[in-house]
Amino acid sequence: MSMRLDHRPGEVIDRQREFTFTWNGEEYPAYGGDTIISALAACGERIFSRSFKYHRPRGLLTASFLDPGCMVQVDDEPNVRGAHRRVEPGMVVSPQGVWPSLEYDVKSANGAFGRFLSAGFYYKTFIKPRRLWPVYRRMLRRFSAGGTVSASPAQDYFDKRYAHPDVLVAGGGPAGMAAAVAAARAGAQVLLVEEEYELGGYLRWGDEAELAALRALREEVASSPGIEVMPNSVVEGRYDDNWVAVMQRDLSHVEERLVKARAKTLVVAPGLIERPYVFEGNDTPGVILSTAARRLINLYAVKPGERAVVFSANESGDAAAEDLARSGVEVARVVDARRGGDIVRVKGGGKGVRAVECSDGAEIECDLLVTAVGWTAPTSLINMAGDRPVYNERAARFFSSHLPDDVLTCGGIAGDGTLEELIEHARATGGEAARRAAKTARRLRGGIPLESEAPPAEISELPLYEHPALFRGKTHGIVDYSEDVTSKDLVTAEKEGYDSIELVKRYTTVTMGPAQGKLESVNAVAIMAETTGRTIEETGTTVWRPPYSPVTLGALAGRIFEPVRYSPMQPWHEIRGAKPLVAGAWIRPDHYGDPASEVLNVRENVGIIDVTPLGKFDLRGPDVPKLLNHLYVNRWDNLEEGRVRYGVMCLEDGVVFDDGVTGRLGPEWYVMTTTSSGAAGVGEWIDNWLQTAHPGWRIHVTPVTTAYASINVAGPKSRELLLRLTEGVDLSPDAFPYMRVREGRVAGVEGCFMWRLGFTGELSYEVHVPAAYGLHVWETLMQRGADLGVGPFGVEAQRILRLEKGHFIVGQDTDGLTGPYDVGLGRMVKLDKDDFTGKPELAWQSEINGRLQLVGLQPHDGSLVPPEASQIVEGESEIVGRITSSRMSPTLGRSICLGFVAEHLTTPGTKVVVQLPGGERVPASVTPHHAHYDPEGTRQRG
Amino acid sequence: MRAPGAIKSALGAVMSSVGPYDRNGSTNGHKPYRYSAFDLLRHGFSQADWPRAWRRHDPKSSYDVVVVGGGVHGLATAYYLAKNHGITNVAVLDKGYIGSGGSGRNTAIIRSNYLTPEGIRFYDRSVKLYETLSADLNYNAMFAQRGHLTLAHNDSSLRTMRWRAEVNKLEGVDSEVIGPDEIKKLVPFMDTSEDVRYPILGALYHPPGGIIRHDAVVWGYARGADALGVHIHQNTEVTGIDVTGGKVSGVRTKRGDIATPVVVNCTAGWSTLISDMVGVKMPVSTFPLQAAVTEPVRPFLNPVIVSGTLHVYVSQTDRGELVFGASVDPFTSYSMRGSLEFTEGLAGHVLELMPSLAKMRLLRQWSGLCDMTPDFSPIMGVTPVAGFFVDVGWGTYGFKAGPVSGETMAALIATGKMPDLIAPFSLDRFASGSLMGEKGAAAVGH
Repeated sequence: MSMRLDHRPGEVIDRQREFTFTWNGEEYPAYGGDTIISALAACGERIFSRSFKYHRPRGLLTASFLDPGCMVQVDDEPNVRGAHRRVEPGMVVSPQGVWPSLEYDVKSANGAFGRFLSAGFYYKTFIKPRRLWPVYRRMLRRFSAGGTVSASPAQDYFDKRYAHPDVLVAGGGPAGMAAAVAAARAGAQVLLVEEEYELGGYLRWGDEAELAALRALREEVASSPGIEVMPNSVVEGRYDDNWVAVMQRDLSHVEERLVKARAKTLVVAPGLIERPYVFEGNDTPGVILSTAARRLINLYAVKPGERAVVFSANESGDAAAEDLARSGVEVARVVDARRGGDIVRVKGGGKGVRAVECSDGAEIECDLLVTAVGWTAPTSLINMAGDRPVYNERAARFFSSHLPDDVLTCGGIAGDGTLEELIEHARATGGEAARRAAKTARRLRGGIPLESEAPPAEISELPLYEHPALFRGKTHGIVDYSEDVTSKDLVTAEKEGYDSIELVKRYTTVTMGPAQGKLESVNAVAIMAETTGRTIEETGTTVWRPPYSPVTLGALAGRIFEPVRYSPMQPWHEIRGAKPLVAGAWIRPDHYGDPASEVLNVRENVGIIDVTPLGKFDLRGPDVPKLLNHLYVNRWDNLEEGRVRYGVMCLEDGVVFDDGVTGRLGPEWYVMTTTSSGAAGVGEWIDNWLQTAHPGWRIHVTPVTTAYASINVAGPKSRELLLRLTEGVDLSPDAFPYMRVREGRVAGVEGCFMWRLGFTGELSYEVHVPAAYGLHVWETLMQRGADLGVGPFGVEAQRILRLEKGHFIVGQDTDGLTGPYDVGLGRMVKLDKDDFTGKPELAWQSEINGRLQLVGLQPHDGSLVPPEASQIVEGESEIVGRITSSRMSPTLGRSICLGFVAEHLTTPGTKVVVQLPGGERVPASVTPHHAHYDPEGTRQRG
Repeated sequence: MRAPGAIKSALGAVMSSVGPYDRNGSTNGHKPYRYSAFDLLRHGFSQADWPRAWRRHDPKSSYDVVVVGGGVHGLATAYYLAKNHGITNVAVLDKGYIGSGGSGRNTAIIRSNYLTPEGIRFYDRSVKLYETLSADLNYNAMFAQRGHLTLAHNDSSLRTMRWRAEVNKLEGVDSEVIGPDEIKKLVPFMDTSEDVRYPILGALYHPPGGIIRHDAVVWGYARGADALGVHIHQNTEVTGIDVTGGKVSGVRTKRGDIATPVVVNCTAGWSTLISDMVGVKMPVSTFPLQAAVTEPVRPFLNPVIVSGTLHVYVSQTDRGELVFGASVDPFTSYSMRGSLEFTEGLAGHVLELMPSLAKMRLLRQWSGLCDMTPDFSPIMGVTPVAGFFVDVGWGTYGFKAGPVSGETMAALIATGKMPDLIAPFSLDRFASGSLMGEKGAAAVGH
């Protein structure tokens, strides 16, 4: 049955473009410009979903984005606003959460049991027996609302954009358009954001005079060069300093785009939202709002019914009655609320409205009831700007009470008036917005007034018309359509003690659905006020939170940007089949196939490892020793030029934070290295101290982690290899001993420095070369050392080498409570230094006993490697330590460990019990040193 | 700060001044009302009003115990004082409505797979109490033990997961490390491929973990406490606490003064301000913690998912909404407004875990206040001011500890003896240096 009308003067459909789409498994015709729901309504469809709890049939209500009964599934996209989204050829649309079908839904049996499913019923039952609760819960979950997400949808594209408008106007109705034009004429760059597909607001479904006004305003906007119009876009949130989030929907190549705008002035002009009326049967298909009737008829040329009753308290209702009559709908009766008329209930059922019962006792048969009881001001944005909206009884809606200087309002949210009055007010507001934006711009430029400052504009206040306070009629009905919450539920909840608006919201879930209270909130507040005998103002509202309307995760995420760091030698590693290891920001080689032979090659010949991720800071200036003394627990004021020293950093709580080597390359020139994972943290730490506690220290700090490629050349033949490549450095043991740093040329590359130190326990040189030459130096080392047996080694081999040597790794062998005294570094802590980070805590740590200590551990069965995190236990289950590092040592041919043990177990030779993850317990002994290999360190000093 | 011994003796003095309690479980003349399926039917037919879940009172001029803060901690403390110890002359004061603070803003995740034996024992007791809470309170809090997965994206967090699993096992808590294939079976939407920026190497799987209806926990305790005679005073802001001779003697509120020998600070966000009223300083910094929820979709996600590396945790409610949380904001603040940057980062991280959720829509964001201590563990017990007890510093993990905190705080107040479970969390640990090592497990450890 076609409900499509003849041409309407303001229609937005393109009758030349006719196509089909699928709804509920069947093909339907549509015109370009139709929404999913308008196309279906034009074909006589009236039911589009089932309600959340009672599974009652639901049809149109608002015919806008907010329409709670028009949520549908479109392909893989759940919860599409069918009364907003334009239908496209071939679109596959299906109803959500119905079973087995939209027409016959078995869960609608809930409707019959509705009297037992009062608000919060689930808190009162399913309590015992406890073992059945999971069964009940699965049953309850079947009633969850919403569409379906699929595990592997099409890859959709989302992105983001920044904008820096002088004036951002939220809302493209007549007031928003007029404000935008006035602001642009005053010289401002304006961003005009409109939720619907075209500008115009309610003028679009208006009479001829309104359509003429619409054309004039649209021309003004189009001819103002300073306005960027964003249709089908929503201002989602206003954050501090007018940081405004705008969501652009349905672009041709982007699903949704988040526009982040720093607006100098924000003009809030969202218009008004028509409020539903609460009475028995108010959710029956065929009960619609006056704006919905007018949208259907005038925008989409769809006849909303055949025989109508109109309940009107305002001009919108009167205009809807006229529209209905003009489009061939029989208007059986107009019930005028201004003359005391009221409706009591709607009778009907699964097929929709059958009759309306009026307060005078008349029962009128009809298939359509149009209500026009009043307006809700969408105060979310001004609420997010710090305003506490207050209720005005005369106008029966909320208004702003106190706005920050950079937020203004116009249109229905600011007051009433004729179209001319509202436009005039909006123009004044737009001009003032531009003036304030210019003032802000001057302030941002440095406060120099470049032109004489214009005085604030006089904005005359809008009148407030008297609106009848119609919220609930004589019967109970649905307040929140998405959540299936009735006014009876609210009353019941209040009597049960959930007696504030916040508690009743949480208990009944009223306003917690997809519309977030934009349709329901004021009715809920009014009903609470009625029940408690308080005024609406005393009852108050809940707090509006962003976003204004739901936004996709895709748009918020945008193009996910997770940068990765690679060393300049990465291509070489990849060609050699290195297994990648994710190490914080870096991807680096874990090994090249056989870590054990990489270890042996370092012990016997020479190996090279890419240690570029080591944190590196270039420190210059006379006060560098002060900084080092401050950050490290050991002493730094006597480090000679050409020397390097190992240091440990603690936080204020005395917990080991990072360690590394710092060398002195010149009189006032040092290079500090940190652990790879600690580099960013140490950088922030240095900045923090220099900027807050010691701004006077003369130090330049430059992070140079990626400016140098770093290669550790380790093994007994490392000197021999480097001799072949190095110029300008005497590598002989006497001239360049252990713990020294030298500058020179390596493989022909100037500006390299190297120090004799390493993690492996072998003779080794850590060579730092300008990053651009990293790959060259690496390849040269490999070529020139071929006869020496040079080979690359990765992180895994290095971990084995250092464990053989007993070096701990911060974060692996230490945890969030480990202090230097716990890992055998107590002697490094110089408590006689003036001050350093963590000193008071360390002074106290130095005196107490009873903390776990790091020790070397040797399992008695040398073929067994206890997994890291195996616990060391006593008795039944008392934990007295744990294994922090464990490996099979290729050098020693047996397993080796580091671990924490309780103080009474630290004596070398003490036998401890290690519990393996499977539960098996094995013996191990505490070793004399952390180092299992060359504890005297003769090899590295060679 | 005083030595622990001095605090203990001060406590003894307070308790003797409170006097002997009526241990007969007096409910101040109120007859408790029981909910049942039959009752629901009866009301369905009669459509009669339900009795109030808790009653309104005018504040009395004195109470034996005044609890400041009407969240799960405060209400549970009052409930167990009445139920386990017969101390019913108790008032719970809240400056707003009950559950308006952290109890109504958290993401309702329950678990006990902590890192230290002390933490595990404590939270395990809480899980046990949560398991029987609905029946104990005759109020269905809808605890759903769907399992809890903490993802490891690098070998160091995998090592921490193993550590937690081992300690958990020794403490008798069900936890194990599982691999990507098992994760994929539990969460088919999870991207467990290896070629992503933060590949999933494994997870700590904790089957008893789950989610609960947080408001119902608050209301259940309120109703239970009320039935036993406790007075709940909403919109009753505390403006001062009177101390006479080193002992608490009363509280001042916007609804009048109340004499009492015992005040329990069960607040969050404002806990330092309440302690300041008696001059007790606490090492607490307050940070906002943001959260968000999506529109509902059909159920597809059973366990709770946590990723420390990506700073996010995700669960799906029985209503079908996804609830997201993160780590605390990186600066101290009392603001609860929420930021755009939070939702941007959150959405990105969720999509890195489950890319097919790109078209789900974020419905609402909010934030709460978290009182962080230096060692990510709470501060519970006595203070240098006799009669002033604290149950604060709950960081991001307070909700899951509500029942056990109430039970132990009530025992401490009633008996004067520090229960073993909370002895490690005393205020004086900051003077004696016995800090807890929960940073690793608690930081984003939902």
